[in-house]
Amino acid sequence: MIRILIVDDEKPICDLIDLNLSAAGYQCMAVQDGIQALSLIESRSFDLILLDVMLPGVNGYDIMEYIRPLGIPVIFITAKYAVKDRVKGLRLGADDYLVKPFDVVELVARVEAVLRRYHKTDNILSVEDVVVDVDGRRVTRAGRLVELTNKEFGLLVLFIRNKNVALFRETLYEQVWEGEYTGDSRTLDLHVQRLRKKLGWEHRLAAVYKVGYRLEVPE
Amino acid sequence: MRFSRKLLLWTIIIMALAFGFSGFYFVNYVFETAITRETGQAMEESSILQFAFQTAALNVPVKYDVLSDQAIEQITDNLAGGGGGRRIQVLDEQGQGIYTGDGFPDDKALFSQTDSAHNAYEILCQEERYYIRTCTIVDVLNRTLYLETMRDVTEVFRERQLGFTVYRRVTLLMLMVGSALMHGVSSWLTRPIRLLTRATRRMAEGEYAYRARKVSEDELGQLTLDFNRMAGALEENVGKLEEEVKSREEFVAAFAHELKTPLTAIIGYADMLRSHRLDEEKLCLSANYIYTEGKRLEAMSFRLLDIMVTKRSEIQVQMVEASLFFQYLSHMYQTNRTMYFQFFYDPGKVRAEPNLMKSVLMNLIDNACKASEPGSLIQVIGRAEESGYRFLVKDQGMGIPEGEQEKIMKAFYMVDKSRSRSRNGAGLGLALCSEILTIHGSHLEIESQVGKGTTMSFLLPWEGQGVVHCKGGKRNKAARSEDRE
Repeated sequence: MIRILIVDDEKPICDLIDLNLSAAGYQCMAVQDGIQALSLIESRSFDLILLDVMLPGVNGYDIMEYIRPLGIPVIFITAKYAVKDRVKGLRLGADDYLVKPFDVVELVARVEAVLRRYHKTDNILSVEDVVVDVDGRRVTRAGRLVELTNKEFGLLVLFIRNKNVALFRETLYEQVWEGEYTGDSRTLDLHVQRLRKKLGWEHRLAAVYKVGYRLEVPE
Repeated sequence: MRFSRKLLLWTIIIMALAFGFSGFYFVNYVFETAITRETGQAMEESSILQFAFQTAALNVPVKYDVLSDQAIEQITDNLAGGGGGRRIQVLDEQGQGIYTGDGFPDDKALFSQTDSAHNAYEILCQEERYYIRTCTIVDVLNRTLYLETMRDVTEVFRERQLGFTVYRRVTLLMLMVGSALMHGVSSWLTRPIRLLTRATRRMAEGEYAYRARKVSEDELGQLTLDFNRMAGALEENVGKLEEEVKSREEFVAAFAHELKTPLTAIIGYADMLRSHRLDEEKLCLSANYIYTEGKRLEAMSFRLLDIMVTKRSEIQVQMVEASLFFQYLSHMYQTNRTMYFQFFYDPGKVRAEPNLMKSVLMNLIDNACKASEPGSLIQVIGRAEESGYRFLVKDQGMGIPEGEQEKIMKAFYMVDKSRSRSRNGAGLGLALCSEILTIHGSHLEIESQVGKGTTMSFLLPWEGQGVVHCKGGKRNKAARSEDRE
């Protein structure tokens, strides 16, 4: 189980991150104060720390200085969006930088990216008989290799990482095609169609009316 | 061309002209004097010779009182031979030479100028030597003879030449020495200008703190002083502008930050609500967060609006009993159990807009609460003073560092940012108070010691002083008070 520490002085934000990361299968702890964060880092071990910059007690950059020798990956989450602030955070050794307000899907994706870089995440995802090797870009269904295009693969990974979450068309489009969603969803629909066919997921990949798609997996 | 060079060049030109003219005049004067003297001597000599010739002629034995050419030649020869080889020439009435001396040029100009009344002379040049040639008439016996002499005055001319040469050398030397001295003098004189120029350049490059050094007491020194005064004023203004720009940037940055935190929560929870199938508890939690963060945004925007409206609005002041405020406040805060409140006040009437004034006092008290530990004492005091009625809010909280006191009235400024926000402050309260007090003709005074506490106070002047805006009709006032209630 991957343990994540959330340090943000705003309780609502802590809870928001906590809820979403817990849903994605991580174990989270949240503190609202720099000194508490330091004592927690000292007493327990974490796989990732999400750190706000403006904190009561000890400032986020100072905490970063303390964390760096420990080699724990850090993502800064802050409202400071100026380039110099971002550069400062990254210089200090942060692995990523997320600016408020952020999209929850983006947060989850970045957390995963950082964890993957540190080889802390499971690179083999599976839903029943479908197994996805993220690094090897191989997908097998019941042991047989399934050929997927790049976009189909990206879609599949996104769906599996967000099981039972209704993913909006624009979110899917922005994450997989990495471009602005222009309202033309035919491409997306086509890809989902093919994915359903190739994996036999006609019922799993449910269309959500006026929203997008959801991978439904009984829990 | 540099100014000091110009000064130098013109000085040299004027010096050269002056030396040249005066030298020429002086040498020439000496020469004129010498030549006059020589001429005088030549004429004198000529007279002496004339006399000698006459005497000699009378002593010659003559027949029929006729002086023969031979006798003349002999006499002349005698005269020429004596006294170191004089040059003499004797001419007859027609200008024909009876005794021709060496080196006399053959021209009759002098001869024709001479008559019995006066003797003539001329200066002539032969083979680079100068002579004074004189001519005088000698009447002896039956003859009228012209006696000519030549006197060598080359020396005088040579002296003039020498004078010119020496003078030229002296002039050149003087010019050189003078130039060197003037170079020093001119660069010393123009030093303040150079220093000023350097200061101007440095300032143009953005180094506003640079000042020109004052090195003279004259007009240039005065100019330096004035320049430095101007630079000081400029630096001050630039500083103010920079401060202004910085505070505006800070405002925008702070505003953006304050806006983003609740927005993040609202967007995030809303996204969760629409994407996830949440259970009852999480659903409630999310919705509640959206609600409270929305409320926070609302409060902040109203506060900001308050400040902006207060900035440009006209207020209705009226005479209000000070006790009214204190009764209101003690009623407001009697339910607050976390702090220990004390209210003291002198009786008195103040000119104020009651609702705005209540808002100021409440903001100050809220600030005091935020700065203090739970359970500590907060005093609210009303004091009648000579010039007005003073309200004081004293706390025993953490205090405000010296350097921060000026800034705390700026919007979004918080001494301890994280701490203040964890107590739900947006950093707008004091900015609002400051605006309200300004339109009441007052201002916030802060006394604070770090760790010991802060006293915020303001003075409302007695009647007849200080109210800045009190326009607006009665109907407006009625409408307004209805609005507020």
